[in-house]
Amino acid sequence: MEQLLRSQEAPALDQEQPVAFFPVRHHSPACAYHLQKAIEAYKPTCILIEGPENAQELAPVLAHPDTKAPVALYYFYRDLKGLLGEEKADYKCYYPFLDCSPELVALREARKRDIPARFMDLPYGEILLGTAENTGVRKEGEKQTYNDDYLLSRGRYLELLCEKTGLRSFAEFWEKYFEIGGLYLDTEAFIRQMLTYCGLSRQHSPREELRKEGCLLREQYMAWQIAQASKEHQRVLAVTGGFHTYGLWELLEKRESQEGSFLFYTGEPVKLHHLSKEEQGVYPLSYSMEAADALNGYASGMPSPGFYQRVWECLWEQEEPKGAYRKAVLEQLVRAGRQARQKKENISSYDEICALSMARGLAVLRGKEEPGLYELQDAALSSFVKGECTLSTDMPLRILQELNRGRQVGKLMEGALRPPILEDFERQCKKFGLKIQASARQEITLELFTKKKHLAASRFLYQMEFLETEFAKRKKGADLLNRRDRSRIREVWTYGFSSHVLSVLVDVSMSGGTVEEAARSRINSYFRKSVSSRDAAKLLTQGFLMGFLEEQAQMGMQLKQVLATDGDFFSLAEAFSHMRMLYELQELYQVKAFLELRELLESCFQKIIQLLPSMGQVDKEREQACMESCLSLYQITGKKDFRMLRPVLAEAFARLLQQKSVCPGLEGAVLGLLYGYESSWEERIFVAASGYLRSAQEQQLNSASFLRGLFYTARDFVFVGERFLIMIDGLLGNLEPEAFLRLLPELRRAFSYFTPLETDRIARQAAALHGASKEKLLGGLVVSPLEYAYGEELDAYARKRMEEWI
Amino acid sequence: MEQVVEIKPPVEVRYAKELEALRALDTGKKPKNWRMSPQAVRTFILGSHKPLIWKGEEIPVRKKYLGNDALVERCIITLAGNRGLMLVGEPGTAKTMLSELLSAAISGTSTNTIQGTAGTTEDMIKYSWNYALLLARGPVREALVPSPLYMGMEQGILTRFEEITRTPAEIQDSLISVLSDKVLHVPELGEEGLLFAKAGFNVIGTANTRDKGVNEMSSALKRRFNFETVMPVRDVSLEKQIIINEVEALALENQISMEVDEDVAELLAATYHELREGVSSMGHRIDKPYAVMSTAEAVSVYYQTMMTAYYYGDSQMDLGCLVENLVGAVQKENKEDLERLRSYFQTVVRDKGGKEGGLWNSYYEARKHLR
Repeated sequence: MEQLLRSQEAPALDQEQPVAFFPVRHHSPACAYHLQKAIEAYKPTCILIEGPENAQELAPVLAHPDTKAPVALYYFYRDLKGLLGEEKADYKCYYPFLDCSPELVALREARKRDIPARFMDLPYGEILLGTAENTGVRKEGEKQTYNDDYLLSRGRYLELLCEKTGLRSFAEFWEKYFEIGGLYLDTEAFIRQMLTYCGLSRQHSPREELRKEGCLLREQYMAWQIAQASKEHQRVLAVTGGFHTYGLWELLEKRESQEGSFLFYTGEPVKLHHLSKEEQGVYPLSYSMEAADALNGYASGMPSPGFYQRVWECLWEQEEPKGAYRKAVLEQLVRAGRQARQKKENISSYDEICALSMARGLAVLRGKEEPGLYELQDAALSSFVKGECTLSTDMPLRILQELNRGRQVGKLMEGALRPPILEDFERQCKKFGLKIQASARQEITLELFTKKKHLAASRFLYQMEFLETEFAKRKKGADLLNRRDRSRIREVWTYGFSSHVLSVLVDVSMSGGTVEEAARSRINSYFRKSVSSRDAAKLLTQGFLMGFLEEQAQMGMQLKQVLATDGDFFSLAEAFSHMRMLYELQELYQVKAFLELRELLESCFQKIIQLLPSMGQVDKEREQACMESCLSLYQITGKKDFRMLRPVLAEAFARLLQQKSVCPGLEGAVLGLLYGYESSWEERIFVAASGYLRSAQEQQLNSASFLRGLFYTARDFVFVGERFLIMIDGLLGNLEPEAFLRLLPELRRAFSYFTPLETDRIARQAAALHGASKEKLLGGLVVSPLEYAYGEELDAYARKRMEEWI
Repeated sequence: MEQVVEIKPPVEVRYAKELEALRALDTGKKPKNWRMSPQAVRTFILGSHKPLIWKGEEIPVRKKYLGNDALVERCIITLAGNRGLMLVGEPGTAKTMLSELLSAAISGTSTNTIQGTAGTTEDMIKYSWNYALLLARGPVREALVPSPLYMGMEQGILTRFEEITRTPAEIQDSLISVLSDKVLHVPELGEEGLLFAKAGFNVIGTANTRDKGVNEMSSALKRRFNFETVMPVRDVSLEKQIIINEVEALALENQISMEVDEDVAELLAATYHELREGVSSMGHRIDKPYAVMSTAEAVSVYYQTMMTAYYYGDSQMDLGCLVENLVGAVQKENKEDLERLRSYFQTVVRDKGGKEGGLWNSYYEARKHLR
């Protein structure tokens, strides 16, 4: 408290002082405005900015006139030595800069004045190493940002403050007292007000919590940096988050020397880990307002950057800052109204007038000097939404929200450092003739098996797809992941470059310097995490498509372990199908046998065989999948390499049939397969089929399912002699019409497995049983021309008479 | 003579002291003909942290509308402007109460009201005639029977239009020209037949969106209003507080000297909240009843149970009786609702009883009254 009171006395921007502290909040136009004024008043000879110092080389890029905000610094850290945990995970965070970010203003001003500007915080990796698990920048489940504004917006103290001032949230509180109110203060008074709030907020934060979050360690380092700079420079301006100012003061002491006064660091020295370039790094990125807004959740940075960007512009369009909010609110209302009209919303100029008067009225009622973001939103809700506010009427609000979010996309100066993955991406695109400059999406056709280059291109596109860049999408071609259209030899892809592709590539850049490396490292990490054989085999297929053949041996080993622990029949069955497909395709895709697929298939087969007999009562939804698995197992035992597995499978099928109440479809399918092995099963099929058709009403319905199963695996059974057809015909003939109609849909499905030619043959045989020809069965009654003419005459007569009635 | 006790005295009578003190101590700027400044209206509705000191007495100003403070602020500003205020939302979301509070604070009266029904006619909205006087003296002002709208315009006060969407659309439309021109023509009065609205006049409408038998509103009329959608309370603890406040007020008015059982209020608030949202605090998915599960209904369920306990019981809330009243409130339009309520008990109440025990267990045992 003592320091708090002291801070109210001395002027913050005294040119006699060796260091001036300017407390900020990220993306705050008021802070940025006063910072500019402060620089004019204090005339610093060096500016220190809160930001990880390993981005120092990039400061000139950010400040360059050709670089247009929003831009961001992207930091990454790879825990190669396992300093943060056994899993040796990768970490990343963003540090966005908007035009109204005080840090960017500081960098630009320094460039203009030709004075040094430096980032003074710990490098990103060191911050992570100084932070306890699941706190601060290591908090799980949140988008990672370097901004630590949450320090200002948490705690019971703030809750009570909002309640007392009648404001809904920290964001509104901040806007009222600092953003709008701040423009009515001179710079000294603004700094004092910031210091008061930040000081109180700090007083209510437990020191232990700050230590865990790495906050104290960072302050030690920053204070040390300030002390170093104050030895070299006459006037140092330290721009930090307001929350840290008090922490920095505590660690610094003013001393005098012959050259003048300077600040001396009184804290403990900070030990660094001296991380290598492989372990940590930073890249500049062009960023978008949308991304900045998404990152601003949880009170880190100001929400609705588009609105505050407009406020920032208005601040410099007029002579004094007052009125900037009034102007921005009016403009946003008019723009929202105009866009709503373009979208056929019924918003008139009068609605805009009413909205403006509502915004101004609310500002007066709420004791604000000018209407701000919250009055703007309230005004649109009241005056633009007609009727109850629902999804069908709130279009104007959505338009305004989008405007407030902003649409600008930033741009980096030419020659700015880029992650190597981007270079590789462009190189690959050039190599394969992919046009990434075109604005519309392009299409490319790849002849996989005739041109080696095309196969390589396909692999590259699969890698881009696997990295979820949304760069390319396969339109046509074999769909190996879903095991469809396997025989296609051509692939047609559509592709197009967008800022999303760029940001995803940068995002994965820490996993590798090339697209291939990044995809490789991702598939390996996914593979390590996969617990079901279904997922593992799917990844194996993806690896196959991406051409990662060296990994396949390693993956095979891991897959074997997953297979051993997996007890889910369907997962195993699907894994089996994937592996079988790979086994069949390996020659076609010019893949040398890197992987002992046969062995894997066999162990998977054994595992399935164990589980198969217990699948008799599988639920209706999974019956088809179970039938498909049985057929797939049967088919593979037909191959030369696997023929010895036949008896094992036949035995498993037989054991399955011994179970009580086996699902009818599955029973039919398995019987059909067994018939394929041995025709002696014929009699059992007859018994089962006639049993189903003769049974009581409810059970009768199962007869169609049984036939469906049977036809699915052994439709040739129908054509072996006429016996089966005669039996079915007889039994169907005995059915009541109602019962037959109930059966009909399932029967139709059952017969859909036959080819048209086969259906034709069955129809002919069935017709013959009733002494009719196929034509008679299919065709209708033959009507003579005379009869037809008479019918038409009668129709005309009836119509005429009816018209007379009307 | 015995003093007549009104069942529900109007807002301006119930809160006469608060209103008087607020008016006397008001330093804010007042729109013309308003009885107090917008800031004072806000304080009256949303309460004040410190009690007012007036005539040597401490007068606490309690928060009367629990829910969305920003909505109340928007309502006040709308009424100071050129457009009418339309409060829309599900039944039982305190729209009427809010419109009464606004009228009482701004105009000093909450009774200048048109009650919309399917039988409302244009002369009920504008004016009609005292036919005896009309025959005797011809069309003169004395023979004219003014409607609440007429009174509002003449005196510069607010006119409330309750349940506006129950009125046929063509009748609703008679408001259009009055709201835009702020003039009412009475052709029978000849040259004197122009009534110009005095400053301070405005209309507050309320409309239900979920009830049966409501009419659509024309776009022309919609344009003359600022709409405020009043949402059901989304916070269980707030809903509990509303139940307690309202039941206490009802008990006081009807001289029932019985304390409100906060635990029962919480239980009821949770029941209403979960049935309305279709998901329980433990994550069960529940079928929502067709009936409107409003906080107002919850208040009445609690109050009925309280009255039974007071007059027939031992002044202790009986959960069996509460469940019976709950059935009465839920099972109105659709027979399935009882089944839905029963399944709520069979899943959510049972599991909460198992987890929390105590009152939830007794509540679960009271399920035999679900019939």
